[in-house]
Amino acid sequence: MNKKINISDLFRAYGTIFAGIIIVIVFSILRPDAFFTMGNLINITRQISLLVIIALGATLVMCVDEFDLSIGALASLGGVVAAKLAVAGVPILLCFIIPVIICFLIGLINGWIVTRFKVLSFITTLAMSTILGGFTFWFTGGATVFQNIPKAFIIVGSKSILAIPLLSIIMVILTFVFWFIMRHTAFGRKLYAIGGNESASQVSGIHVKKYKNLAFALCAALAALTGVLMASRLGSAHPTGGDGLFLQSYAAVFLGRTVFKEGVPNIWGTFVGAAILGILANGLTILQVPTFMQDLLTGCIIILAVIIQKMGRGDSK
Amino acid sequence: MKIIKGGQIMKKVFALVLALTLMLSLAACSNSAAPADSSAGKSGTDTATEAAKKISILTPYLSSVTTNQMVETMKASMETKGMVVTVVDTKGDFGQLASRIEDVVSSKADAIVLVSADPNQVKTQLQAAFDASIPVFGCDSGFIEGMMVNATSDNYAMGEMMAKYLFEDLMGGKGTVIALTHRPHPGVVKRSEAFDKLLKEYPNIKLITEQHIEVPGPIENSRKVMENLILSNASKDSITAVWSAWDEPAIGATQALQDAGRSEVIVTGVDGNSQAVEMINQDTNLKATAAQNFEGMVEIVVNEMTKMFAGEEITKGEQYAPATIIKK
Repeated sequence: MNKKINISDLFRAYGTIFAGIIIVIVFSILRPDAFFTMGNLINITRQISLLVIIALGATLVMCVDEFDLSIGALASLGGVVAAKLAVAGVPILLCFIIPVIICFLIGLINGWIVTRFKVLSFITTLAMSTILGGFTFWFTGGATVFQNIPKAFIIVGSKSILAIPLLSIIMVILTFVFWFIMRHTAFGRKLYAIGGNESASQVSGIHVKKYKNLAFALCAALAALTGVLMASRLGSAHPTGGDGLFLQSYAAVFLGRTVFKEGVPNIWGTFVGAAILGILANGLTILQVPTFMQDLLTGCIIILAVIIQKMGRGDSK
Repeated sequence: MKIIKGGQIMKKVFALVLALTLMLSLAACSNSAAPADSSAGKSGTDTATEAAKKISILTPYLSSVTTNQMVETMKASMETKGMVVTVVDTKGDFGQLASRIEDVVSSKADAIVLVSADPNQVKTQLQAAFDASIPVFGCDSGFIEGMMVNATSDNYAMGEMMAKYLFEDLMGGKGTVIALTHRPHPGVVKRSEAFDKLLKEYPNIKLITEQHIEVPGPIENSRKVMENLILSNASKDSITAVWSAWDEPAIGATQALQDAGRSEVIVTGVDGNSQAVEMINQDTNLKATAAQNFEGMVEIVVNEMTKMFAGEEITKGEQYAPATIIKK
């Protein structure tokens, strides 16, 4: 083995991580007092937690080569349902679980329409997103739910254990759980097989429809959980509160695909992708960079990461 | 061959490092006002001995013309007083707004101004600012315990003023009305509530429908909504008036009505934005708007903040900048 080959392989495999490290170094040099501190590290983990959780779901759906465009609307719905239940005095645990179950079922419907009627997931979930948006507005009357939310409801979103926010802990646990599922279980391997070649998977005896349905359902459940956690973090639920996470989550997944050389959606890649987006937003705000410049930079960095990875792989697919 | 590729890859690593460093440095420099703790941050005014105050203006609605005007006026006004101002817009995303408030708190800003955003929706994050002794001001926002001042119009009074002017003077106490609203906005919801209440006092005025207008893109959205409502209320005089909770939907609705040749329908807005005032003067369907005194609000925030930095006592709570009706 030649040393140069190792560097080449290393860069090909971890170019995006290098980029992430460079970003951290530059921010740390420019504002060591505010950026490179333990407090801000904790801050960043809390800020990316919601994005990571919703993007984990998007990763599952992308593993089976589908899209779910309704995740933003599902998150908004999850948040307002949880907040309304909390206001109505329902036990807090149920406030967290019920929206997740409801959205799991909605995800199954998404999957069922896609697999049963062979409708493009793009169209199905876009329509579902519109339906859910309408429902959420009707359900809330367009108003933010914030009055009379019990204090217990905001504990998960605002409290910490040993200075580590609960949201960050939940994010790490879920990332490990889904990494394990995708990497070490038959379920995960089957999802990748379906994404790799659906017909071959079908022929080899994989119940493609069932697994796709499950991918949509889990994705929707994670989106709902994100919405619930967001409501808990903000102490309020906005009827379009989760919508903003939709594009960001796919940006995280796409960035995540560039993290490892296989170039497929993967759990740790998504985590790194979301972390890079989160660090950029955090660092640029601390540097007092105007918002428009933040958007320009974030977009450029995503394109740069994808291009470099393609160059590294030596293909243009 | 792989070895050659390894060399190329090294060049790419170098290019990536260079590109990223350059981009981030450029971004940092693009903020002409450098961080206050550097020597460049010292103000050139008579307070040259002190570090310039770092102010962060945060809003989810910068694409709205009025919010934008307010933010720009405030920024300019603060900069003339030697303050270093950063504007953060989160494009309607309150989760992002929460995160950006946390960032501003950890970067130890000297003051935060929340523009056109309900502080109740980011209460936890604002609490962190209060705990860090960072003063929080509101401009066209709301007020929660812990904040310094929220400068605003009395939105309820404005909604009532416009609805009353529409019902009495323009409609003569009878007819049908369409309401265009956006209730998640803290100011708009108060105007809408005033409209709801007043409508009950006029039994001869019937509400056809209330439509929620989407933000961003309220003009385009309300135009579409109005086009559809014109189709479903096709006969002349089936719609007497459109009450819009702010100017942008009123502009969109007016455009749709003009296209459809429905000159009999009266439209009113609230805010007094320049495009709306122009339309009122051009004899379109748009007949009146209540001019929010945005400059007055900005003045309140900047004055109160200056007083606070000078160590003077300020009165905490809501402060109102009075509104007036604009008609031809």
